[in-house]
Amino acid sequence: MNRGDRVGIGWRAPLAASIYSHLDRIDLIELVADDHFRASRRQLRALRTLAGQVPMTLHGVTAGLASISPPEERRLARMARLVEAVQPVSWSEHLAFVRAGGIEIGHLAAPPRTEAGVEAASRNIRRAAMIVGAMPAMENIATLVDPPASTLDEARWVSGILEESGAPLLLDLHNLYANAVNFGTEPAVLLLRMPLHRVTTVHLSGGHWIPEPGSSGRQRLLDDHVHDVPPEVFALLTALAARAPQPLDVILERDGAFPAFPCLLAQLDAARAALAAGRRQAMQLREVA
Amino acid sequence: MSSAALETFLARLYTDSAALARFDADPAGEARRAGLSVQECDALVRSDTIGLRMAAVGFGRKRAQHREHRKPLHHRLLDRLFRR
Repeated sequence: MNRGDRVGIGWRAPLAASIYSHLDRIDLIELVADDHFRASRRQLRALRTLAGQVPMTLHGVTAGLASISPPEERRLARMARLVEAVQPVSWSEHLAFVRAGGIEIGHLAAPPRTEAGVEAASRNIRRAAMIVGAMPAMENIATLVDPPASTLDEARWVSGILEESGAPLLLDLHNLYANAVNFGTEPAVLLLRMPLHRVTTVHLSGGHWIPEPGSSGRQRLLDDHVHDVPPEVFALLTALAARAPQPLDVILERDGAFPAFPCLLAQLDAARAALAAGRRQAMQLREVA
Repeated sequence: MSSAALETFLARLYTDSAALARFDADPAGEARRAGLSVQECDALVRSDTIGLRMAAVGFGRKRAQHREHRKPLHHRLLDRLFRR
């Protein structure tokens, strides 16, 4: 592993005590920002103290920056207040829409991938950066539905938004893996088509297969954050580390069905090993060249 | 072919099972009645309807989880105790 890579975990209340007592094996933590938008001054001070002990990044889930419509400014103002108070090393959001026409979807939905969508999302991201005072890293999302009315494929759509907005990429490798297997693309091929030079942060998580409705017998992979990271995703991390020379922050996301903490630490170790293998491959390729 | 009306239409499909059933029965008619453009209507007729249904179920589960999460702790404990 090169000097700049860091491996950490998403901060969740049931894991807090274990994370806190294993900070020697955790390089950084990621907080779901929206859980803390209504934090009191005292709670904000506690978060600031925590951010002083371990590098912290904030992860937003409800801004809906990839919508064709502008984001709600009050949500961005809350993020700005939190960033100001906690002083994280970075913040991030999703390439998703979460509401439209006054309807709250309740989760991250993939919008139609179009040129107009690229323009709107780029505008929204730049607006968010202006209000919060820092550019967010933008995360590719998992989707069970091939977004209707799309005219661009995922890689071109993501690349277009990041080029036009100047935002870095938070590359969720399980999301990428799930979309690839669900819609008939080779995961390694989809990885190579992503703008890897823009990746600053990586998410790792797991999921499970669910049957398609009807009698087809086919299944789709649901990204659920309650299963261990599969070997295929660690392999993608190695491939990424071999091709993206910049330092990477890698975050393990686990939202439930928590295993014993050593099992999560073992996944952090596996991430470090995958990164190291990728860095070695890059070095060998440079030597050959 | 990416309008606020189209996103609203998709948001309704993801949150309203009756709207999704109507769309399943008559995709072109439902899209037209929502005021979508001809291109958007055509694209929706050709869309991944199995995926739409799977996504709608997934989003419904997420909303239920959020509702549960927002309940006061003593309500959640009572729910568990009496399996409400």
